[in-house]
Amino acid sequence: MKILLVEDDKQTADYIAKGLREHSHVVDHADNGRDGLYLATGEKYDVMIVDRMLPAMDGLSLVKAARASNVRTPVLFLTTMGGVDDRVTGLEAGGDDYLVKPFAFAELLARVGALARRPPMVAATSLAVADLEMDLLARTVTRAGRRIELLAQEFKILEYLLRHAGEVVTRTMLLEKVWDFHFDPKTNIVETHISRLRSKIDKAFDKPLLHTVRGAGYVIRAPD
Amino acid sequence: MSFARLTRILRSASFRLTLFYAVLFVASAGALFATVYWTATAAMQNDMAAVLRTEAYQLAEVHGRLGLGGLGQQITRRMNFRTRGPIFYLLQAPNRRVVVGNLPGMPPVEGVVDFVPQSDPPEPDTEPSKLTGFGLTLPDGSFLLVAQDADRLTEMQHAIVRAFVWAGGLTLLLAIAGGALIASSFLRRIDTITRTSRAIMEGDLSARIPVRGTHDEIDQLVSSLNAMLGRIQQLMDGLRQVSSDIAHDLRTPLGRLRQHLEDARERAKTTADYDAATDAAIEEADALLETFSALLRIAQVEAGAQRRGFTDVDLSELVRSVGEAYQPAAEDSEHRLTYKVDDGIHLTGDRQLLAQMISNLVENALRHTQAGSTVSLALRKASAGFEIEMADNGPGIPESEHERVFDRFYRLDQSRSTAGSGLGLALVKAIAGLHGLTIRLEDRKPGLGVVVAG
Repeated sequence: MKILLVEDDKQTADYIAKGLREHSHVVDHADNGRDGLYLATGEKYDVMIVDRMLPAMDGLSLVKAARASNVRTPVLFLTTMGGVDDRVTGLEAGGDDYLVKPFAFAELLARVGALARRPPMVAATSLAVADLEMDLLARTVTRAGRRIELLAQEFKILEYLLRHAGEVVTRTMLLEKVWDFHFDPKTNIVETHISRLRSKIDKAFDKPLLHTVRGAGYVIRAPD
Repeated sequence: MSFARLTRILRSASFRLTLFYAVLFVASAGALFATVYWTATAAMQNDMAAVLRTEAYQLAEVHGRLGLGGLGQQITRRMNFRTRGPIFYLLQAPNRRVVVGNLPGMPPVEGVVDFVPQSDPPEPDTEPSKLTGFGLTLPDGSFLLVAQDADRLTEMQHAIVRAFVWAGGLTLLLAIAGGALIASSFLRRIDTITRTSRAIMEGDLSARIPVRGTHDEIDQLVSSLNAMLGRIQQLMDGLRQVSSDIAHDLRTPLGRLRQHLEDARERAKTTADYDAATDAAIEEADALLETFSALLRIAQVEAGAQRRGFTDVDLSELVRSVGEAYQPAAEDSEHRLTYKVDDGIHLTGDRQLLAQMISNLVENALRHTQAGSTVSLALRKASAGFEIEMADNGPGIPESEHERVFDRFYRLDQSRSTAGSGLGLALVKAIAGLHGLTIRLEDRKPGLGVVVAG
């Protein structure tokens, strides 16, 4: 994947660029907003990672300007902690996701992956991985033809995982997308829901579909 | 009154305002004066002219009947027996010879005329007074003039001028004195405000400006200034508290972080040892970051900036979704979590913060009660709005500690050993405050009830 990173702090930029390159991504780096906008409008990228606070031109203005010149590349904003309004203003400016610094690298990687492979906005009526099928209209789930009863929140978790089948989905992503919680609860609410979901969809079958990726999150994928 | 004080009074806004109004008053009085002056003068002049005209035409009629000689006799009689004010006469034959009269001869004029008679020879001891006359040329070419002293008019004009000068001067004087008085009283009160603010700048944050109790504009200003000072002091105290809290409460985890790093550096023999030590260090660092993030969040919420982004929040849906989210976690820690929600309760607020507030209440209850306890979350309509209640049947909190549990970093002795930053309830209080909600703790014997009411 080709990624544009606009970040003025050299240490953070090196840390992110190095990590992304280790995962075989191509990274262009700009250390100020003006250069960032120049690259964003001149080159073609799969994802842009943009810091909110930048010299020459701040991240919000950069993304607004890029969107105004018809650049549709998905944008991940990096914000400093504590900014409660940052998420809303970032999304309003044309950002697609945001991440609060400091963050674990696995979180950044998962979000970049999710942004780049954002499914086209067609209204799918069913989702499936291997023999696990979800009917979005009837709101039913079956595995190997057998009906599985899920609670509302379990259904939402599974739907999100299936929409991102094969990709790592982090705990924070689930908190944001399933519960709309943009804070970090001290209780393991994601883990406990996942464990119940897992016992319903995997326990009675030979091949597990829902896997835990240590230090990163969860992934649902067909067995090899 | 010292010179400096007088200068200040003269320069004060209230004095200048009074002076401005005084000048405005004098100007309008001047306009009134001019109107009165001219109207009265014109009326009096008309009056005098009418009297003279009547007299002249009466005499002209005598002339028609008795001729020049008869008119001369009639005028002589009138001059001798005139009782009502001095009237002057002049009758000149067509050849300009004075037939009779007490005025010197003059060229004939028609109608009303103002003039000063020229004595011939001039009389040095009597000042010639201004006269108003009415001249008439008779059919035979002789000239008749009837005149009256104009002094009455002048006297009246002088009286009007005097009255206005006195009244205007007195008004101006009163205005200046009154202005100075008001200005000096205002200055005294402003001085008090200045003195108080100086005292505050010099470090006495508790100083307040005295209120007079008159409920006037200055009192209102003073009240809101005092309220502002109170708020500033509260914020300053908060800041001071936070700084010392951070210093005390972050020393321990930072020490532990250092210890883990030292372990990795000095004692790790295998990769597994090394991994364990760095993992522990990362966990410690994450906890520290989380604490900072919570502190920042509390500070932001207390600053009240989020109010801009308030929207309608379906509180019923939110409480139900938080209850549902925590159910499995509660089961895993062997708690019974129940939730009971009345439908259709809405609130204008920040959904994220309200979600965090309710989550913190649930987590607090789960963390501080033993396995087997029941914790129940409820949202119900109350007489004046709604109540969010988080109740448990755990050990509860002693009455004496009820106020302090909402302080930052405050932890009961019995919960020192359990995980948690001691910031959860402080954030709950800040979020409730932001939304104008009140929190109370209730002793449920056994257990604790936290009620957030709005």
